[in-house]
Amino acid sequence: MKKKLLLTLFVFFAILLSFTPDLFAEEGVTDTEIHLGQWGPQSGPAAAWGNVARGTGDYFKWINDNGGIHGRKIVYHMFDDGYNPAKTKAGVKELQEGTGIFAWACGVGTSPGLSVRDYLAKRNVPWVGPAAGSMHWVNPPQKNLFAVYPLYVGEAKALVKYAIETMGKKRVAIAYLNDEYGKNGLRGALAELKAHGLKAVAQVSMEAKDSDLKPHVMKLRKAKPDMVLMWTTVPHSARIVGISKAMKFAPQFMSTSTTSDFPFMMHITKGLWEGVITATLGELPESGYPLLNKYKKEVFDTYAAKGERWGVFYYAGIIFTEPMIEGLKRCGRDLTRENFITAMESISGFKGIGPEVSYKPYNKNDMYSRQGASQTFLLQCLAGGKAKRLTDWMDIK
Amino acid sequence: MIDFIQMIVSGIAVGSSYALMGLAMVIIYKTSEVPNFAQGEMALISSFFAMMLLTSFHLSVYLAFFFTLVFAVLLGCFLEFAILRRAKEPNVLGMIVITIGIEMILLGFVSWKFGAEQKTMPFPIGPYDSLIIRDIFISKLEVLTLVAALLLMIVLFLFFKFTKLGLAMKATQQNRVAAQIVGIRTNRILMITWGISSLVGAVAGLLISPTIMHPYMMWDPMLKGFAAAVMGGMTSLPGAVVAAYLLGIIENLFGGYVSIEFKTVVAFVIIVLVLCIRPSGLFARHYVKKV
Repeated sequence: MKKKLLLTLFVFFAILLSFTPDLFAEEGVTDTEIHLGQWGPQSGPAAAWGNVARGTGDYFKWINDNGGIHGRKIVYHMFDDGYNPAKTKAGVKELQEGTGIFAWACGVGTSPGLSVRDYLAKRNVPWVGPAAGSMHWVNPPQKNLFAVYPLYVGEAKALVKYAIETMGKKRVAIAYLNDEYGKNGLRGALAELKAHGLKAVAQVSMEAKDSDLKPHVMKLRKAKPDMVLMWTTVPHSARIVGISKAMKFAPQFMSTSTTSDFPFMMHITKGLWEGVITATLGELPESGYPLLNKYKKEVFDTYAAKGERWGVFYYAGIIFTEPMIEGLKRCGRDLTRENFITAMESISGFKGIGPEVSYKPYNKNDMYSRQGASQTFLLQCLAGGKAKRLTDWMDIK
Repeated sequence: MIDFIQMIVSGIAVGSSYALMGLAMVIIYKTSEVPNFAQGEMALISSFFAMMLLTSFHLSVYLAFFFTLVFAVLLGCFLEFAILRRAKEPNVLGMIVITIGIEMILLGFVSWKFGAEQKTMPFPIGPYDSLIIRDIFISKLEVLTLVAALLLMIVLFLFFKFTKLGLAMKATQQNRVAAQIVGIRTNRILMITWGISSLVGAVAGLLISPTIMHPYMMWDPMLKGFAAAVMGGMTSLPGAVVAAYLLGIIENLFGGYVSIEFKTVVAFVIIVLVLCIRPSGLFARHYVKKV
């Protein structure tokens, strides 16, 4: 009897010991690996932004081949959500509860991100650099969520301000996607117009699946605007500019940073994007910025898949994750979620290839404790997809 | 008044691509009574095939389009022969599910093979080159689509009315067993029907591609084409075309005068209304089987 009891106890402790490293380790972290996740639209209406997630993947490969982070390699789990919030939620839950993800990086889209924001917050899973400038990430701020993308509201304000103060525009119309992404841009534009004592001469919304935009452009034209601000998807923006050209309707077009990949926009509009002014979130490809050149040579030229294009959408995947890598480095070997959050909060004046990033200890009344970047600059598309820088980095709080 | 006329013209313009997709759906429905939900993706794969010929093999546009239309016919025939014909004891519901399956496979294949990033197809007419007559505009590509839709409708109408093959297709739809008894090879007829339908869909795809190409580009035209086909009665070729133009015009007028936000759903409200009030559609005769 005693023998049997001893044997049972031995087996029990043997099993317990075999699980020990996992029982006490942080989810998604082992001695040699850090599991990071990201969703990104590799198909669907927002596929043009799919290279954000691919850029991040190549950046992580480069980090791994340069020794990883304190002896650990990044294991990158990326899935295609097709810009469909239902798919985003299903994919995140599957990876989080199946594989165990330490932290999430980027993730394109306001609506897809919103579908998992509360889920990640509830589990206190860190999420750094959502690839959308939505107020929803930081208003109210959440302990686990560190935003990098400058707010759309601020971008829209900067564009409208430039149109009114520098270009002398008075009649501003707004075309926006009827979702949280579009409405963020709309809010910023309306606020800036109000600050100048003006109102939008037209507000035209569209659905992601709309392909016939003639009625929308007719509404815009009817209002006789001298500037049209577009807060829509890439195909929508391309169609609006194209149909306007066909209608001989030629206001100054302005658009969000999500359409600031000029060579690509020129390609899909067959050259009609020339003259459009956008905000942007990273140094320009031809700027000669040393760190950007380094990434081009060591990340893009080495790891990018055949057919991938070096442009702002691709290296936005690096911009949004640079602060995350900095946070992981600051943790040292003792990588827990609490340590990581503390390390992220210690980041101040961090400058990679995007805007300057600073966080503060969590304060539920201060959204800038979690909104790391608040700078943008404006540029205009020139012939051949080249960009003319119109402003320097501007603070857009 | 100018705005009203412009909305009518824009409605007719957008209705042309709906008409082509509606025609393609009606052709298959006429012979097999199966709504083919893979129609959009069949057109999609043909369009990407054309793009491949243009960009990878550097063929001229005309040659590429010719080979694409041949490819489209072969694709339609292949799908019928290799997949639909193999269905055991098929009923309409089972066939619909099969077409949905084909749709998913083709969509996945295009995404995998050609990537999901937006592209535009090189074409002799720019997608935004327009004709402007007294402040009313229409793009040249839309004029071409309009002409293609009307021409195809006339050709198909004459084909079904006056050719042996067309009559055999009609006979196959009306009574397959009787058609077999009089010597019609109904399987072959169905295969040819799929081929022709695929060709009509490919024309729609080719005329949409100069504006924008991505794996989901045919969803909207396919759904609207289906709505037009239902509205027109599912078996009437002129019915589908007229309904497609009506749909385009209604959408534009609704967007212009009622609500731009709900413009997209108008088509589906119309489907519901038509199915409730006149289930056989606006232009088809309602056959009642005598027992």
